[in-house]
Amino acid sequence: MVGSPVLFVAIPLLAAFIIPLAGMMWKNSVRVIPGLVLAFMFFLSISLMGYVNEHGTIVEVLAGWKPPIGINLVFSPFTGFLTTLMTFLGFIVWLYSYKFKRNVDFEPSMKYFMLLMLLVTGSVGIVLTGDIFNMFVFIEIVSISGYGLTSFYTRRDSAEAAFKFLFMGAIASTFLLIAIMIIYSQLGTLNIADIADKMPMMNHKLKVLSLVFFILAIGVEAEIFPLNGWAPDVYTEAPGPIGAAFAGIVVKAAIYASVRLVYTMYDFSGAFDLFIIIGLITFIMAETTALRQDQLKRMLAYSSIGQMGLVMIAFGIGTKEGVYAALFLMFNHAIIKSLLFFSGSYLVFNKKNKYIKHVNGMGKYLPITSVLFTIGAFAIIGLPPFAGFWSKLAILTAAADNKMVVLIAVILIISILEAVYYLRVVNRIYFYDKKEKTEPKKPSINALVAMISLGIIVLVIGFYPDLISGILDRAAADLMDKGNYIKDVLTLNK
Amino acid sequence: MDIIILILIVFFAGAILTAFSGKISTLVQDILFLVTLIVPAILFFTGVEMNTETVISFNKTPLTLGMTPLSYYFALIVMGLAVLAGAYTIGQMNGKKRKGYFYLNYILSIGAMFGILMSKDLVSFFIFWEIMTWASYLIVIYNGKNVQKIGIKYFVMSAIGAYAMLMAIVITHSLTGSFLISDLISGFGSWNHGMQILIPVLLLVGFGVKAAIMPLHIWAPDAYSNSPMSYTAIFSGALSKMGVYGMVIVFLTLLTKVPEGALIRDIVAWLAAITAAISTLYAIKQDDAKRLLAYSSIGQLGYIVIGVAIGTPMSMLAGLFLAFMHGVFKSTLFMVVGAIEKQTGTTDFREITGLIRKMPWTFLAALISIIALAGIPPLGGFVGKWMLYESLIQSDHFMLVTLVFFSSTAAFLYCYKILFGFFLGQEEKEWSHVKEAPAIMVVPMLILSIISVVLGTFPQLIMKPINAAMTFYGMPDTYGILWKESMLFNKWGNDIALTPIMYGIMAVFIVVAIFLFVKNRTRTRYVTTKDISSSGEIPKEHENLTFSRGFFQPFLRAVEPVMRKQIDKYMLSFAQGVEDLFEFTRRIYNGNGQSYAIYAMIFLIILLVLGKNLFG
Amino acid sequence: MEGILLHILGAIATFLLAFVVGMTYGGIRRKVIARVQNRYGPPIYQNFIDAFKLFSKTTAVHHGAMHLLGPAFLIVSAVMALMVVPVLRDNLWFTNLNFHGDLIFLIYIMVFGPLGMALGAGQTGNPNSAIGVTRGLSQMVGFEIPWVMALVAIMIKYNTTSIVDLMKIQTEVGQWLIFQNPFAFIAAILASLGMFRYAPFNIVGAPTELASGPASENGGKFLFTMMSAGSVFAFVKLTLFVDIFLGGASNLIILVIKTFLLYMIPVLYGAVNPRYRTEQAITYFWGWPLLFGFLAIIYSVYF
Repeated sequence: MVGSPVLFVAIPLLAAFIIPLAGMMWKNSVRVIPGLVLAFMFFLSISLMGYVNEHGTIVEVLAGWKPPIGINLVFSPFTGFLTTLMTFLGFIVWLYSYKFKRNVDFEPSMKYFMLLMLLVTGSVGIVLTGDIFNMFVFIEIVSISGYGLTSFYTRRDSAEAAFKFLFMGAIASTFLLIAIMIIYSQLGTLNIADIADKMPMMNHKLKVLSLVFFILAIGVEAEIFPLNGWAPDVYTEAPGPIGAAFAGIVVKAAIYASVRLVYTMYDFSGAFDLFIIIGLITFIMAETTALRQDQLKRMLAYSSIGQMGLVMIAFGIGTKEGVYAALFLMFNHAIIKSLLFFSGSYLVFNKKNKYIKHVNGMGKYLPITSVLFTIGAFAIIGLPPFAGFWSKLAILTAAADNKMVVLIAVILIISILEAVYYLRVVNRIYFYDKKEKTEPKKPSINALVAMISLGIIVLVIGFYPDLISGILDRAAADLMDKGNYIKDVLTLNK
Repeated sequence: MDIIILILIVFFAGAILTAFSGKISTLVQDILFLVTLIVPAILFFTGVEMNTETVISFNKTPLTLGMTPLSYYFALIVMGLAVLAGAYTIGQMNGKKRKGYFYLNYILSIGAMFGILMSKDLVSFFIFWEIMTWASYLIVIYNGKNVQKIGIKYFVMSAIGAYAMLMAIVITHSLTGSFLISDLISGFGSWNHGMQILIPVLLLVGFGVKAAIMPLHIWAPDAYSNSPMSYTAIFSGALSKMGVYGMVIVFLTLLTKVPEGALIRDIVAWLAAITAAISTLYAIKQDDAKRLLAYSSIGQLGYIVIGVAIGTPMSMLAGLFLAFMHGVFKSTLFMVVGAIEKQTGTTDFREITGLIRKMPWTFLAALISIIALAGIPPLGGFVGKWMLYESLIQSDHFMLVTLVFFSSTAAFLYCYKILFGFFLGQEEKEWSHVKEAPAIMVVPMLILSIISVVLGTFPQLIMKPINAAMTFYGMPDTYGILWKESMLFNKWGNDIALTPIMYGIMAVFIVVAIFLFVKNRTRTRYVTTKDISSSGEIPKEHENLTFSRGFFQPFLRAVEPVMRKQIDKYMLSFAQGVEDLFEFTRRIYNGNGQSYAIYAMIFLIILLVLGKNLFG
Repeated sequence: MEGILLHILGAIATFLLAFVVGMTYGGIRRKVIARVQNRYGPPIYQNFIDAFKLFSKTTAVHHGAMHLLGPAFLIVSAVMALMVVPVLRDNLWFTNLNFHGDLIFLIYIMVFGPLGMALGAGQTGNPNSAIGVTRGLSQMVGFEIPWVMALVAIMIKYNTTSIVDLMKIQTEVGQWLIFQNPFAFIAAILASLGMFRYAPFNIVGAPTELASGPASENGGKFLFTMMSAGSVFAFVKLTLFVDIFLGGASNLIILVIKTFLLYMIPVLYGAVNPRYRTEQAITYFWGWPLLFGFLAIIYSVYF
């Protein structure tokens, strides 16, 4: 083993303390150190993935207390896949924004990169932890760094957005804590594997109540339909790359949490239907709303919400193919939506309200960025030969195998709307004349590298989906195998 | 490496190289473009073998490529047109901007069409189908005019079709466990009845969009007329045939196995016939040649689909034959319009007039194609039309045949409008500077014209591949059957002895005609179009004697009640209404944190109420 | 070889016959109309005199290739049409070229000539010609529908598209098609009013309005060619009607009697009618004739 899952949490937290000190000596270190940490996390997760593929799930015990009493981290093919994805994205976001803040002062720059690092750490923590209270803590870490990043540009609107986020986050935390209390009072344990093991013994009414509270709490972070009012504001007001981080990292972690609940902890089959219902409503509401947006980032935000609805639908199908499709969707969404947020921010750079009409005619001024945005748009619509097609095919196949014909029809009809609003933007980029006087900002080299590498991934996966399908297959199998998870964690006692 | 994959690689690599070679020089770009089209064509005609299979083995979805006789026939259309229209394109795009963009999408769409034809499983079929769609979408919006309306309309309709197809594909997979077309065909008979109806209908919707069958045709007039004419030649000539290709498979293999097949056939045939009739009326109404030809294409595709949908051996033969002919003559006409646009800068009948002496070769190509389009013997169009009527009468589709007769008679009106509007009539000074289009544009047109002449006399040249395709899908050997049905000017007649006589008599009268022509020409002198009889007055030079406005006004007045209602408008207002509905959903996100908190509480209550049902 | 020679001779004989009969009928028409209008009218052979005069004239000017080709197209297509119509029943000399499906061929070949003529007229640049052509084409769409419906009714009933077969059937049954399916005959004869372009459907070449329309730039030999083509066409149409509806003719005298009677229908109808405008003509054809067409189809399908 090259490293230990503990390092995912330990290193960033340590770095968070060191950064202000190092910053006093060398100003650029506030930028460099988070990048190094994120890169380290990425390589660590890759090497651990390699290990897991050969030797099976790693269960790391913290502070010597063995489960179910102590806190443990589980690095399985499923969580490992998500960790790799998140850390990779975290690194890409860092790379993209490395020069982004050159013109701002030392102080905000330090906050930005530290919060970004903590955001990634918290998300990775949510995925890796095997303990619900620990999960609560990580969710709080993510939320708090999220509040900070949202209000990064200390403007009126960003403050408002951050406040809305805080408001909803507070509601979520409350219910999450209550749910955890119910569980603990009933089962006397906080370990997920242990809870899953003991779940049949729980009082039925309280079981339902706790699950409902959990869904409400995690649904806020997962941006499911009635709870996602904060999200568009946050995506719009937060710095561009942070939108990508939210879409690609935070929401993924929240989805993970809800999936863990439904697949592992609870034993309700109805919860899968609930996933489909919630996912479908979220998908429909978000995509229809996105169609009527006039701000680019807001449109991307709704689109992102819609995609997460689709992921929930895929998880709700409940078969291995469904999980496979969901994971593929998550992967694609992370890559593609980040690409869109990255390139989109440059297309409307320096514009006050970042309206969609500001992208008019940018194809001439920012050719590479425009092409990348176009590739992203085509990919997220699900046009072959880009990556998005394979995940769309996977989810539809999974749904068809379960005879959900109406579901397929609804997904496809709504997908047409998605195509419409993305193509409207692409048309504007290439075929409208630029009206504003402001000079478009050329992307800096590091941002370009970040975007191009994402674009290449989109194309490569599109042409050769086998690159990822094996990993996804193992991850899906891992999630489906609930007994194995319980066994892996709890047998550490012996 | 397998030759099909090699061809695809040449296409896709060539497309990208061509797109970027514009930075070096435009000449290199042009040559690369042509090479990328010609090399696959050569490889295809020399190397691809029938009934072989290549598998690209992906874990989840292996892609299978191979050629069937049917796809060979359609590939003839695609590859042939691609090369000819490609040469033309170089001439037409000379000096235009965004050349790389155009060439890229042009080659991509050709490659995708080739891929569609070579696909033996539904996933690769769909992949290439979508590549074709977005590549053609990008060309439709190439001009930058009205992109949000025209482009999005095209894409939405394509997406409706493609997603209907995708739905059929995934359901097929769930029923047979495989994406192979052959498995779909073999397994189809044993499915439950609902699926046996649903799958063909979904597939037909998918193909119907590209074949522009009402009510899925609304994208076509705008898209055809908005893309550069050199691509519209492909669009109407080859790309629309992909829909026909799919329909042929559905009608030949799937619908023969269900009892409701006959009903579906009739519905599709009727829709196609109505499409043909109405779009012909609209074609007559147009004052812009591009739109006229666009509507005309829709009408012609209607005939093709009727033939394919009726599905008797002869009508299938007629449909497939017309598909080829339509590819030949309609592309020529689009090329003619493109040439005129290039030389004069407009395609409006009301502006251009009297080009016959300035662009004689273009006129010749236009004349031959028009004769073929109108279905007048002895050109290829007639052979197809004849088979279509014959088959409709034999299969007792009496109202259908009347409708087809009506639309093809009405087609004479717009045929004349094209020829008169551009080439005949007064020769105005305004256009005296116009010259014949460059040779690289004229030669492809003439080659295609020669093809339509040749096919009128020797239709067996393509009847053989058609017959092979039909027997491959289990149809009787029409070559043998139709040998008994006779036809003029070809060797298919039972009275084969008549043919030389017919040729003899033809020859006599052609000699007479030429004699009259030459005799009159040598004896008379040419006078300008101002020197005409107008009640004794001699028209002055500046006097406008051009007749081009309100060309078929009396006719249009008579058919006005039919044309008052437009599906297009209904659909657009429906789309508008839906968008307005979304404005309502958008308002749910009102930006107020308090309402969001209330939503959260409502959500909680709903969950608690539902909890009993969901979690038992 | 002899057979071919016979065919060629037969073709020439048919052409001459058609020319003479068509011209004579034209003369008779002028006479009849004159008598109806209480004039004396020209002699019956007046058309021959006109033709001869036109033929002997020298044409001085032309407007270009299509203008020269127009009349040639017209005569070629007239002869082609003539070749597929069996003039007499079971007669070696006039079998010409009959084949399965020649009715459809005929419908199309009959359009070819006028379209060629229309192109010729177009190149002259005379606006009157073009206006006449558009009217003619519009009117053609009008009458083509009842005409086709009548034919379809027959073709479906007897499941053949061959004129010879239809004639055979009439002989076998012993009853003319006019009695077997009267509606088809009515629809067809109403459509034929438009086909002949006599009043009230003569707006195409109305001399007073359009200076003879498509023909206006043609004189001398051009006009002669057009005139003979018109005569041949008239003969073709009449013979076709006789073949389809009146059981054909076994010798020339019967043919002449039958065609003459048929010919009088459009002539007399025209003699007492004013001129329709184009859209009026179209709506006329889409009224009663269309209804009869429907009736014909229903009759032949259900009875």
